[in-house]
Amino acid sequence: MAQPMSGKPVTINVNGHDRVIDAPPDSMLLYALRDNLGLRGPKFGCGLSECGACTVIINGNAVHSCITPLSMAEGQKIVTLEGLGTKEHPGKLQQAFIDEQAAQCGYCIGGMIMTAQALLEQNPHPTRDEIKQALDGNLCRCGTHMRIIRAVERAANGAGEK
Amino acid sequence: MNEISSTLGRRGLFKLSGGLVVAFSLFNPADVLAANAKAAAGRPIPGGVPPDAGELSAWLAVHPDNTVTLYTGKVDVGTGAETALAQIAAEELYFPIDRLNVVMGTTSVTVNQGPSYGSRTIRYAGPQIRHAAAAGKAALFELAAKHFKVAAGELSVENGIISVKGARARSISYGKLVDGKKLNIEIGASGKSFDMVVAPQAQLKDPATYTVVGTSVKRKDIPAKMTAEYTYIQDLKVPGMLHGRVVRPYGVGATLLSVDETGLKEIPGFVQVVRRDNFLGVVAETEWGAIQAAQMLGSVLAPQSPTAGQAKWSDWNGLPEQDKIWDTVRAAPGQDVEVSRNGDVDAVLKTAAKTFKATFQTPFQMHGSIGPSCAVVDVKDDRCIIYSGTQMPHEARHVTAKLLGIPADRVELIWYGAPGAYGRNGLDHAIADAAIMSQAVGRPVRVQWMRWDEHGWEPKGPAIVQDLEGAVDADGKVVAWRHHMWLPTSMDTRLIAAALIGKPDVVGSVGMGTPAITYAYQFPNTDVADHAEGKVALLTAWLRSPAQFETTYAMEAFIDEMAAETGQDPLDFRLKHLNDPRAIAVLQAAAKLYGWEKRPARGQRPPAGSGPVTGRGMAWVNRDDARVATIADVTVDPSSGQIQVKRVVVAHDCGLVINPDGLKNQIEGNIIQSISRTLHEEVTFDRAHVTSRDWFGYPILRFSEVPDSIEIVFVNNTPEYPSYGGGEPATCPTAAVISNAVFDAIGVRLRQTPFRPERVKALIA
Repeated sequence: MAQPMSGKPVTINVNGHDRVIDAPPDSMLLYALRDNLGLRGPKFGCGLSECGACTVIINGNAVHSCITPLSMAEGQKIVTLEGLGTKEHPGKLQQAFIDEQAAQCGYCIGGMIMTAQALLEQNPHPTRDEIKQALDGNLCRCGTHMRIIRAVERAANGAGEK
Repeated sequence: MNEISSTLGRRGLFKLSGGLVVAFSLFNPADVLAANAKAAAGRPIPGGVPPDAGELSAWLAVHPDNTVTLYTGKVDVGTGAETALAQIAAEELYFPIDRLNVVMGTTSVTVNQGPSYGSRTIRYAGPQIRHAAAAGKAALFELAAKHFKVAAGELSVENGIISVKGARARSISYGKLVDGKKLNIEIGASGKSFDMVVAPQAQLKDPATYTVVGTSVKRKDIPAKMTAEYTYIQDLKVPGMLHGRVVRPYGVGATLLSVDETGLKEIPGFVQVVRRDNFLGVVAETEWGAIQAAQMLGSVLAPQSPTAGQAKWSDWNGLPEQDKIWDTVRAAPGQDVEVSRNGDVDAVLKTAAKTFKATFQTPFQMHGSIGPSCAVVDVKDDRCIIYSGTQMPHEARHVTAKLLGIPADRVELIWYGAPGAYGRNGLDHAIADAAIMSQAVGRPVRVQWMRWDEHGWEPKGPAIVQDLEGAVDADGKVVAWRHHMWLPTSMDTRLIAAALIGKPDVVGSVGMGTPAITYAYQFPNTDVADHAEGKVALLTAWLRSPAQFETTYAMEAFIDEMAAETGQDPLDFRLKHLNDPRAIAVLQAAAKLYGWEKRPARGQRPPAGSGPVTGRGMAWVNRDDARVATIADVTVDPSSGQIQVKRVVVAHDCGLVINPDGLKNQIEGNIIQSISRTLHEEVTFDRAHVTSRDWFGYPILRFSEVPDSIEIVFVNNTPEYPSYGGGEPATCPTAAVISNAVFDAIGVRLRQTPFRPERVKALIA
């Protein structure tokens, strides 16, 4: 393999595990998660903090990993889509998205779920307007918005209204 | 690095290089990983040739654990086609759908059923798969008849278990019956692509007995997409893979003058620059390294000049002025294509009671996938493996073979899911980019476009201009109708990379703008014609409902003007000029669901200082035989010019619906995306290049702007009506609906998209 990428590895805590990343500290967290750790939840969408596909939760806040330098993530607790559950044991919000069939292509959905997860952790019973406001920085091109809103409501309220 | 955990493998079957088909348990991930690694490592020559459509094994494999794999050349980039096709197969096979898996697109194991575009998957591939599955069921019955030594007529089947009638103990599963063997059974096939006929003799199930088709089976791909276990093409890593990035010219037609490589070698992981004529790319061991290198050469969001980066380009300014794009479109050379000509429009226009005239202008728009285009290509020793999420895998295999000068039987495309493309976006172009870079470095190269590559270089939907004229007689009937369209091509299939390496015409062709319209109105004098053009200004390709989104806007907004100006209810006015029962049915169904009360459009300017005003609008379309009528309420804030779509009602007739919830998901998507296209979307460009290179330059609809509700009713959803497509028809009416509703609310006609607030405000003033 290639020579070391940085010289000074950075340690981050991802989904409950400390991980040592060999990448330049000024590189973006997104690439450390995807390329060094092989995670797929955070997606490259724009690299400009405009679409939200790369959203992860850092210390309880939804953050765009595409513009977060790795050095700033050092020592932080990071949660990605993988941290919420698996196909066999989906998390509550993931299950709500499955129940509502709230995806078309699904490329934006990881970012949607992480943004909504951060919202629900801070505000367990948001209104529809609060959900829309929280998700307004996340873009969906397929037009699955109505289902995404219903999925978040379903997770928040225990049952979704159709 | 051993992460070729392919969807292909997970779905149960992998064809190894020796041609042996190995079936393994779907439910044993260790088997899958082992088989994948072996397959990836031991593939000196890719499986180049698709299977014979006349063989049952080309469509179906039955595995010892009693799972079934369906193979289809169709792909699913978010439409739900995978699940719908599985439903069709499961139905005819009498097999549980949760044990039936689908392999899509991979060229060595699927039949070319044509590209997955134009709402053609269920309509054309559906019957092919239905027949193949029915033939499969018959073959399994024959095997069982031999096994039990009874006549096939004495057998019954339930959930993939065949039993001797009246002797339940004598039963056997498909899996046991086939016992790991390949289904080498001739079922017959003729024709090609969409028109292919498969297993014409197969005895089909009586649709009255359907239990799977017509039900809202949960989509197969969704759980994995929710938990990051789905492998998008962007997620794929193959052994030895390098990361590539393209560095596009500053001006679309610029010449590469020089490349200064100073500093590139200091970037950790940097490997090399790939330069071929005007094609420029970089490859690196890491994605971040490739991004850094590309940036130094000039790949940035807002490049300042042709020589601002370390790659220097000639000063090219060959694009027409954006402000005059519709004049440019009008003046472009082309060929006139007659759509409808009856009577004498000019004579009637001279004498009619009331005449009308309007021009509609629509801009370049883009597909705007949330995931920038990506491909991994591995070119070595005159063979090529393509990993891609293209909507046309079989075509892409041949195209790439030509581009590289490698025989097609040494090229394989392994298909992975992709972010929604909504037509031909950059996915096929990224294959070419990766192929050229892989050929240069002799290792697999993954290319993902940056956001500005996607916005700047994906093929667009063309700018279009349309002139309409019409006349209404004293009885309020349309007596003359003229609709002239200037349509640049939506079928330009040439590749960006091919042009950059100096071989613009090695693959693909420019195409001509085809008249994307169906005239169902019964007007006595008509003159409907398309001025069909080639490329105008920017590279274009098909974008959801190519050109018909635009032609429906003009047609349905203009007829609404005629109704309003003659004081007639817009529903009645349409109905009295229609005799297509399915068109009439969707209009009536939408009106019923909406609670339509008859009245002419109000069309009054709001008084000064007025708050938001509500209006209603309707429109309909016949898009490749599917009929869709849409009615919506919108509010317009006269002080800001802001339009908000509040309630949308859709009546949709695409015949028999395979998966009602899946279709609803598609219709909702069509509605929201087309609201976005109507209100916000316009590609901007200067004389050198596209300037709307990110989501601020090219905004799309956000959560705060989505309607309160989208209500949907299906019409003619019964087996007497064969399934048409549902992937795009519901896009078509939206711009007209909103335009008509805005007129109802505030009395202004919006004849140019997008309906941005400043444009609305200017019209009110």
